[in-house]
Amino acid sequence: MRLVRVLVLVVGFLCAGLPLAWMALSSVKERADTIAQHPKVLPFATTTPAPESLVFAPTTGSWSELAVVHAGAQASFWEHLGNSVLIGVLSTLCSVVLGTACAYGFSRFRVPGEKDWLFFVLSTRFMPPLAVVVPVLLMYRQLDLAGTHLGLVLLYTVFNLSLSVWLMKGFLDEIPRAFEEAAMVDGYTRAQAFVRVVLPEARTGMAVTAVFCLISAWNEYGFAMTLNSSGAVTVPAYFAGLAGNIEGMPWPQVAAGAIVFVAPIVVFTVLVRKHLLRGMTFGTIKQ
Amino acid sequence: MRTEGGGALRWALVGPTLLLLVAFNVFPLAYNVFLSFTNAELVGEGARSVGGANYARVFDDPLFAAALRRTALFVVVAVGVELVIGFGLALALKRDFRGKAFVLTTLLVPMMLSPAVMGLYWSLILNGNYGLLNQVLAGLGLGEPQWLTDRDLKFWSIVLVDVWMWTPFMMLIALAGLSSIPPSIYEAAAIDRAGAWTTFRRITLPLCAPLLGLAVLLRATDALKQFDLVMAITGPNDGGTQTLSALLYQIVFRDGKVGLGSAYAILVLVVVMALATVFTRYVDRLRGAEAVR
Repeated sequence: MRLVRVLVLVVGFLCAGLPLAWMALSSVKERADTIAQHPKVLPFATTTPAPESLVFAPTTGSWSELAVVHAGAQASFWEHLGNSVLIGVLSTLCSVVLGTACAYGFSRFRVPGEKDWLFFVLSTRFMPPLAVVVPVLLMYRQLDLAGTHLGLVLLYTVFNLSLSVWLMKGFLDEIPRAFEEAAMVDGYTRAQAFVRVVLPEARTGMAVTAVFCLISAWNEYGFAMTLNSSGAVTVPAYFAGLAGNIEGMPWPQVAAGAIVFVAPIVVFTVLVRKHLLRGMTFGTIKQ
Repeated sequence: MRTEGGGALRWALVGPTLLLLVAFNVFPLAYNVFLSFTNAELVGEGARSVGGANYARVFDDPLFAAALRRTALFVVVAVGVELVIGFGLALALKRDFRGKAFVLTTLLVPMMLSPAVMGLYWSLILNGNYGLLNQVLAGLGLGEPQWLTDRDLKFWSIVLVDVWMWTPFMMLIALAGLSSIPPSIYEAAAIDRAGAWTTFRRITLPLCAPLLGLAVLLRATDALKQFDLVMAITGPNDGGTQTLSALLYQIVFRDGKVGLGSAYAILVLVVVMALATVFTRYVDRLRGAEAVR
């Protein structure tokens, strides 16, 4: 049994980790080495190695070429990353602020139809982007929002509200009401009690919620490619756009860009690892 | 538990969010229904009403039937495989060992990454001529399947990448299920001399089932939307891999047929909403059970 357990874990670990390690390795190769017939595994060559050799000469060329505008794209990787950061951060801020306020309302007051509203909020998460994007696109064209940062910020804010409301409701429900009641006895108004007593207590919850909102905005592709195909293009849509490139895929640059793009997500995953379960299940499982 | 009415304040708190959600969900839905009865196109004006013609075309379209069947197959196989492997990994992770936190975090990383970007990168790994996977397989003498071009294999390549991304999710929830089982139950089973298999079938599995059910429903509603990986690995118009979302993209954005696409979208939404209702009911029941406990 012990042997089986170790074997399962080793194979699982390799399957999860190897593609990422291979990506890191690809980012320091010449393009020819990324599509070589024989795998290039060891970055130690000093002279030009034989074609069937496992050794290759490492280069940082792909990293400096992240600033290059490739055929089929309008801007460099860094500029697209800037779009992703701007859209991700702004929409996350809006989602967390609106979601926290809404969750506080549902957590502390009796709202008519509360349960129906909460389940309506949750069900909006299940809409397939491709099935709702056409009316949004036609609406955005009227309002000149297609291909703008603002358009995607607005859309991602709304898209993440379900996550933010449900997660924050879970966190706020855990803060004893006695805290605010005591503050209000001391002469605070409800709003002051919320800002000075509840919000500091909810800091962890808000940070965790923000991380999950940011990740889902960061990774989103369906809306990004259909609404913002020409302006304010985010990284996933930019990479996908390179696939039709006549010069062939610039694999080392894609690998280098992908590493830059996923690195913050890996860091965040480590930071919120204790809350992963909660975040991934909209707070329906708490542990 | 005393809850005060709150008057205008409660609506000021919940109002903006609910308004935004209604504006961005109910309005497009209504507009979608309207468009589905017209021959609107992506470029150009002057859409005319065509009655129920779009719906009639959808039901006659072999592409829609094929995409529906393919998506259903995708949901069943991908979610099923993820459940089995994820549960297996969770069982292997149950006991503590040195470096567990590191192994666990590494195992969880794939589900946090962008499917569009990782899908694109997987198409390099899966490439039949110079991909890492085939180089490894050839080294082991296992042949070189054409993962991305073989008509019958393409679909399974997408399933493979989905399994790589989402098995961690099943593992995470299975771990939560396992750790919620009190050790005293296992001790009692050991006293009764229950075998390993009986213990697993009679204790572990039934006590994990509610959480696993939630995981399966959550994954299924997600897999139903599968679009990113299809786009990254084969493109939207591939006869072997076209899912419902890919077909929708093809009709609306490549063929420009908004009216027809809207009719498709409405039918897809009916399926999704049915599944979402099952999910919310399930969550409701699970929470009810928690409150009793």
